[in-house]
Amino acid sequence: MSAVLKRNNVKVFGRGQTPMIFAHGYGCDQNMWRFITPAFEDRYKIVLFDHIGHGHSDAAAFDPAQYGSLNGYADDVLAICRELDLTDAVFVGHSVSAMIGVLAAIREPERFAQLVLIGPSPRYIDDGDYVGGFKREDIEGLLDFLDSNHLGWSSTMAPVIMANPERPELGEELTNSFCRTDPDIAKHFARVTFLSDNRADLPLVKTRALILQCSHDAIAPEAVGRYMHQNLPGSEFIQLSATGHCPNLSAPEETIAAMEAFLRDPAPVKAVA
Amino acid sequence: MKMDQGSLIETAEELYESAPCGYLSTLPDGTIIRANQTFLTWIGMDRQDLVGHTCFQDLLSVGAKIFYDTHLTPLLRMQGFVNEIAVDLTCTDGRVLPVLANMVQKGDANGRPMVHRITLFNATDRRKYERELLLARQKAEQATEELKRLNETLEERVTEEVAERLKAEEALRQAQKMEAIGQLTGGIAHDFNNLLTIIVGNIELLQRRLPEGSDRLQRAATHAMEATRRAATLTQRLLAFSRRQPLDPKPIDVNKLVAGMSDLLRRTLGEVVVLETVLGGGLWRSQADPNQLENAILNLAVNARDAMPDGGKLTIETANARLDEAYVEVLAEPVPPGQYVLVAVSDTGSGMDKATMERVFEPFFTTKEVGKGTGLGLSQVYGFVRQSNGHVRIYSELGEGTTIKVYLPRLIGSDEEPAEMPAKNPAMVRGMGETILVVEDEPDLRTYTTEALRDLGYRVLEAGDGQGALDIVAEHPEIDLLFTDVVLAGGMNGRALSDEVSRRRPGLPVLYTTGYTQNAIVHHGRLDPGMHLIGKPFTYAELASKVRRMLDGDHL
Ligand SMILES: Nc1ncnc2c1ncn2[C@@H]1O[C@H](COP(=O)(O)OP(=O)(O)OP(=O)(O)O)[C@@H](O)[C@H]1O
Ligand SMILES: [Mg+2]
Repeated sequence: MSAVLKRNNVKVFGRGQTPMIFAHGYGCDQNMWRFITPAFEDRYKIVLFDHIGHGHSDAAAFDPAQYGSLNGYADDVLAICRELDLTDAVFVGHSVSAMIGVLAAIREPERFAQLVLIGPSPRYIDDGDYVGGFKREDIEGLLDFLDSNHLGWSSTMAPVIMANPERPELGEELTNSFCRTDPDIAKHFARVTFLSDNRADLPLVKTRALILQCSHDAIAPEAVGRYMHQNLPGSEFIQLSATGHCPNLSAPEETIAAMEAFLRDPAPVKAVA
Repeated sequence: MKMDQGSLIETAEELYESAPCGYLSTLPDGTIIRANQTFLTWIGMDRQDLVGHTCFQDLLSVGAKIFYDTHLTPLLRMQGFVNEIAVDLTCTDGRVLPVLANMVQKGDANGRPMVHRITLFNATDRRKYERELLLARQKAEQATEELKRLNETLEERVTEEVAERLKAEEALRQAQKMEAIGQLTGGIAHDFNNLLTIIVGNIELLQRRLPEGSDRLQRAATHAMEATRRAATLTQRLLAFSRRQPLDPKPIDVNKLVAGMSDLLRRTLGEVVVLETVLGGGLWRSQADPNQLENAILNLAVNARDAMPDGGKLTIETANARLDEAYVEVLAEPVPPGQYVLVAVSDTGSGMDKATMERVFEPFFTTKEVGKGTGLGLSQVYGFVRQSNGHVRIYSELGEGTTIKVYLPRLIGSDEEPAEMPAKNPAMVRGMGETILVVEDEPDLRTYTTEALRDLGYRVLEAGDGQGALDIVAEHPEIDLLFTDVVLAGGMNGRALSDEVSRRRPGLPVLYTTGYTQNAIVHHGRLDPGMHLIGKPFTYAELASKVRRMLDGDHL
């Protein structure tokens, strides 16, 4: 397997020709797509991967400078596309990966035919009239809080701490086995994510995009979704009745239905109020 | 009393409500539909305000809430449960309660999530402990990192350190050596001077008293005098090196001094060496003993000449200079940073190798053949410059030439005019019967001085110690000048004597003499302002001139 595919733990399956690449958000790994992919694997070539430091990616490939902004993560997406020779793909990005997909599509538009952006936010911190939903202190609070789960031994983070080379079995035994992250990289990713500001990039997007907006999403509130829709040229906006930040997990049917409608219909979907 | 068995056994209700953990049931969106009393007590809310109105995630701190949305919920959806995830509850009174959450997701027949069962453990102590562990781990990591870095650079640093040490030790050794030699030579030179003074005096006496026509004896006396003068020059240089020569520092314009030396220098250098002087404009004034500075420049010029037997060029330059902290820091001897007047003497001669350069300031170090060099020229330069709070630096390149730089401290804040050059040949000036009190504890020296002064036409009173001198002063109001050695036997030194005499006879001029300066009159080798001194050995002519000028009130 090539270095890139190994580094990002890339999985390719499905019986279709059109590539559909899924990018997980902050705090998760490719497992978060488990309820969505079955609906598409007959018709698409499914590409899953883990961001660096997450899941089964190669944490050793992490370099804080290289991943100092979302562009570093977009580089990885493009590297995967190049490696697999993907063009006209459907890019499905959750949360921060929605913006990562936006950045990738600006740089190499030919790779992407459609963008499905689930719970996207171009900026998490309020700025003048712009409402991102968070204050800077909130993000500091998060970064500080993360440590609580880096040391709680049976928590999400712990498996990675414990997964030392001498005792690989330890990591496997621990209870929360999904969404493993390297604590330091996770913290770095959190900082890069929540301090990012990609509002200026939105008008540059030429790719057709769908914005899936959840109800009561504390991470990406409705105002943010609306802002995205207004500033992303030709984007479509669907308000889901699913609550929370992860409709792909909490309401997979509704998410799949919205995606299908968008992918099937070449004409813009009318925004639902 | 008969107990009802049932009342002894806790009910499930009791257990639920008062268990040492919080129990909650929520809808998949987080809405709390049931909570036990323990949880209500923790959070500080009434059941009716909480149940049905509040989402579990809304009770969390902001950080924990983000974590709940990004990590906990996805995990719960994927696994169906989560174990011991840390979250922070925000209580109604503002307190933050760290808890560990276990959650199970219950679904309907189709696996659709219906309800979450949440168990919360108070984790205050545990979290504190974990924080400490985390800090300890970070510290340990930092220490390891630091250690690794130290290790990596260890060899390099040791080498550096050792080199530094060696250099410092070498500098110290050099300084100590110079100091020791200085003390030794200073002591010998001092004794020698006294002897020479007597010899000079007696030869002069002989010369004056030899009958007419005894030409051979006159010539012998002249030779003896010449040799004695050379000996005196040597002791003078030794004293200079030991930094114990009495200096008479004055404000000087170095440019004027160098210009005034050009005739002397041309004669010294001879035909084959070209002299060039480059005098810096706007040169600061300096403070030094002008005679000694002339000596130093002359010594340097002679060395340069000797290094250019086949001819060459001698350049004397002056300039304003600044010695910065970085420069003085690495010097073996303490030199304060600041402004200096530079005199640089350069030649196009043979140059020196490194080994020679390291030793040139040592007295008696010479590479010249026996009889040609005494090895005291640069010793004088070094001693004089150091005694004047200056700095000397040698640059030399074998086969190319040598530059010796003398830095003298800039004189700041004095409007005194630069000293005139001392008269080269003081005219013989005679006494007019004035009374001079000579105080000298060394009998031979006293005899010489007294005789010389009488010979010059003065009336002389003499004393061997301070007390004797005071007795004479009391009896002889006609005394016009006190001439005293600085160091006196018998408990009262020349300075104390002169203070006492000045008290009794205010305005009476005092002329000191000494071969040595470590005493009351000369602070750090310098005359106190307003005091007058004639260094030993002094000649008849010098004595004549100095005494005359003192009496005339012409105290230059
Ligand atoms: N300008 C110079 N060029 C080359 N060598 C020099 C120069 N100045 C001094 N030296 C070296 O330093 C030595 C010591 O010099 P220093 O003036 O102290 O003594 P000297 O010249 O040998 O004897 P003297 O006491 O007559 O001056 C000299 O013998 C010579 O080797
Ligand atoms: Mg010499």
